[in-house]
Amino acid sequence: MPMPGMSLSRPLPSLLRLVLLGAVSAALSFYSVGHPNLQQFGLSLARPILWLNSQVRDAWLAGSQYLQGQAALQSENADLRQRLHALEIQDLALPVLRAENRQLLALLDSFPTAPGRVTVAQIEAQSLLAGSQQITINAGSAEGVYVGQPALAPGGVIGQVVTVSCDNARISLLSDLSSSIPAQPLGGDEPILVDGQGNLQALSVPFQSRDTKLVPGTELVTSGLGGRFPPGLPLGVVETVERKNGGPFAQITVRPSANLAALNTILLLWPQTRHSSNR
Amino acid sequence: MKAGALFVGFLLAFLLESLPFGPLYAQLHPDFVALLILYWALSSEQALSYVLIWLIGLLQDLLLGDLLGAQAISLVLMLVLLYTWMNRVRRLPPWEQLFFIFFLLLAQQLTAWLWPLLLRPIAWHNALLIGPALGAALWPLLTYLLDQMQRHWPQLRR
Repeated sequence: MPMPGMSLSRPLPSLLRLVLLGAVSAALSFYSVGHPNLQQFGLSLARPILWLNSQVRDAWLAGSQYLQGQAALQSENADLRQRLHALEIQDLALPVLRAENRQLLALLDSFPTAPGRVTVAQIEAQSLLAGSQQITINAGSAEGVYVGQPALAPGGVIGQVVTVSCDNARISLLSDLSSSIPAQPLGGDEPILVDGQGNLQALSVPFQSRDTKLVPGTELVTSGLGGRFPPGLPLGVVETVERKNGGPFAQITVRPSANLAALNTILLLWPQTRHSSNR
Repeated sequence: MKAGALFVGFLLAFLLESLPFGPLYAQLHPDFVALLILYWALSSEQALSYVLIWLIGLLQDLLLGDLLGAQAISLVLMLVLLYTWMNRVRRLPPWEQLFFIFFLLLAQQLTAWLWPLLLRPIAWHNALLIGPALGAALWPLLTYLLDQMQRHWPQLRR
């Protein structure tokens, strides 16, 4: 590499420039938190790069499929057939369960609600750093996506929309440090929170007393509190419950129901209670 | 380097930063924008403007949805550290330069990681060390490729 002689003379010393730019950065960081339109502007600005990303991803997928051997394709085909067969068997039980659910709701004097509209989107970019865990998808306000909208993947909830531009939306995953979702055990009514802790494989349940009823294997679903997520969506399964000596709270880790580390197709949910009148 | 070549270089770097190739790629890939700035600073006859580098970092923050200012100030700090030891770096044998590149990338990464502490808690991840190590390991290949490009296409130079 050429390393020519260069002049480093500057009107202001480097340290002073660093301090000044640091002050401007800090001011901008504080300002951006209260002004989400800045993030929206950034997402609009990123449109060409996101488009290029989707082209590279599609070419990569097409290339890897083309290079896949016949044996691998046959094995994948057999695996898919097996899963289809299992789903068909599960499907047989659905009408019975629906009828049973209707009867139970009638007994409770409640009315069944339809699950709401769902749109499929693809991931165009990802930022999975230790603190900020977000993905960008190829659906935006043009498709009716809104801030706070629930996002799902096969298995359960993965997070919620935090920024929307015309053609794209950014989703903060359950594992993001700023994520906190009202939940409850499946079949129970004890309100809890499921927080992200910067780890795609482990969420946490804070402030649970040492004699908590949560045990490993307990399934957690959204409680519907706050009105952002409809109740009953699968969130995760309690993996460990530790009671350390002297600590007032139990330390609970939860494995997300959806595999956050292998996201491909995202489902955006329009709950029946919102936007349903004009769709 | 010409403005057009730099534009294409940074566009590619931003693209590589955000490719949706899963968590392993997202957490382990080196910071390509930082690597390109280091190459640009070391091969340029003029000192780079801190404000320009800050603006490039700000653009990266906007594009990736990170906290505004985090990447911007971390890239400026990396450049200040590079220019502080610039003359010493030039005299280092190549393998020792790799350690210095690793140190610069690590300083940049840790600054960008610590910056959000201004507003919210942060979490440690071992990938914070692996990215700079991979960046340093890629450095000889990257400089060789970019040097060759400049030799074959002299019009890329100013």
